[in-house]
Amino acid sequence: MINRPFMTLIQREVWRFLGLYRQTLIPSVISSGLYIIVFGESLGSRIGSIKGIEYIHYIIPGLVLMNAINNAYQNSSSSIMQAKFLKFIDDLLITPLNGLELSIGYMIGGIIRGVMSGILVISLAWLLADVMIVNIPLTILNLILISWAFSALGVIIGIYGQTWDHIAVFTNFIFMPLTFLGGVFYSIDMLPEFWRNISLINPLYWMINGMRYSMLGVHDSPPFLSIIISGIFVIAFSSIATLMFAKGYKIKE
Amino acid sequence: MSDLAVLIKGLSKNYDSTQALNGLDLEIPAGSFFGLLGPNGAGKTTTINILTGLVNKSGGFAEIFGHDTVTDYRNARKLIGLAPQELSFDFFFNIRDMLALQGGYYGMSFKAGRERADELLHQFGLLEKAENNARQLSGGMKRRLQIAKSLMHDPPIIILDEPTAGVDIELRHMLWKFLKDQNKNGKTILLTTHYIEEAENLCDTVAIIDHGKIIEQGSPNTLIKKSGSSKLEIKVKNWKDSIINDKRAFSFINDTLHIPAEEPEKEMIWWIEKLKENNISIEDIHISKSSLEDVFLKLTGRSLND
Repeated sequence: MINRPFMTLIQREVWRFLGLYRQTLIPSVISSGLYIIVFGESLGSRIGSIKGIEYIHYIIPGLVLMNAINNAYQNSSSSIMQAKFLKFIDDLLITPLNGLELSIGYMIGGIIRGVMSGILVISLAWLLADVMIVNIPLTILNLILISWAFSALGVIIGIYGQTWDHIAVFTNFIFMPLTFLGGVFYSIDMLPEFWRNISLINPLYWMINGMRYSMLGVHDSPPFLSIIISGIFVIAFSSIATLMFAKGYKIKE
Repeated sequence: MSDLAVLIKGLSKNYDSTQALNGLDLEIPAGSFFGLLGPNGAGKTTTINILTGLVNKSGGFAEIFGHDTVTDYRNARKLIGLAPQELSFDFFFNIRDMLALQGGYYGMSFKAGRERADELLHQFGLLEKAENNARQLSGGMKRRLQIAKSLMHDPPIIILDEPTAGVDIELRHMLWKFLKDQNKNGKTILLTTHYIEEAENLCDTVAIIDHGKIIEQGSPNTLIKKSGSSKLEIKVKNWKDSIINDKRAFSFINDTLHIPAEEPEKEMIWWIEKLKENNISIEDIHISKSSLEDVFLKLTGRSLND
């Protein structure tokens, strides 16, 4: 599988988003910087600390995760959607690449963008708020797994989607609410019991929790669950995406 | 490598209620210039898309140089260069890099891909556009680039789906010359077309496809002789029925002899001598040559452009 055609697809995917860095990487940095300044600096002093962590630091793992998710998902979904609209997906389908290589190739493009945007936000947070990471390997592992899961979902939606709206629906109506309700800006211990219980069925809550543990060393719930949940999503979404490519679902007649 | 560039047996494809291919059989010898001739909707594009993996077949099998297109798809696809009818390019990159990436999907290093891209761009008169985006090219240039892209990995068989549809005469002739040269250099060429002139000028073998089946196959000349309707028309004065006493087929209407003939030029010599012998003066001679269009019409009852 690690052959030149496969590596070429990854090269193509990375070049695409690096070439479009103004649309791909920079907006994440700007929006995260605004969150850190507005929420962290201005509101943080009023909120104080959570679990012994300054508020401005507490929100950063969630911001890192939010950007990684969006970037990973956007990369694979838009790349496939554009290839479909402009018909050059056929140029790939006629090559010796198989369904597994195509789906993993697209996913790796998304993973690299997700991880890069996460690292950019961490660097920005270090510059603006002097955040130090407690466990770097675990942070990178979480970033990779979360980016992989959402990049794989992006492949699925990229293949399935017929219009750009289908891609936006997931970003605006699913990721955004789930991320905000997953405790990016608060600990679920601060919620009434009913809403706290509701939060527990939100997979992004567990992922944010895991990221917070790896970056800051604090958590609301067992941190290893984040790895397990991300792993389950990685396996499920990657399998579906690969099957779709292999069968040519909606891309072959 | 197999002597057959393409072997197709009992190929079928169903789209919901429509049967696009209906047990199609086809053999294309290596090194031939093969034309798949048929009207729109006959199954030409479906056939080549099954060969290249863009369409999943419903039944039968297809091989490229002995490699099954499903079970041994990697080896089969490496051997095919496809120039589809619809122009499509990876617009995120300049033309040179876009071609180099395409070569990379077939195993070329990026450096080798860029060198090969320049070689092909030079051949197609597009080298000065190498740094441009394909969007900036004219329609004719895009068509040339599409063919250059299909040749990046130097495949032994080139499949072209209506390569000259909508292109001007100058470019059409340039492409014809290029394809003839490629064929002389040993490439097998499979061309789908509904232009008669294209098939007659280029192809050593033509298969006529209709309703998802091959209904006739052979060299253009053989097909024309076998199914065509070439004839000779001679306008004469002082005609006498009695001069023809053998069983030659002809009719005489309005001072003109209408003579069906497989090879009208040869037939004409016999008739001129015969008429001279009998002091019958010839006022006009007209040869009406049959074409593949007539063959198609006779076989299907429809015109190719229907």
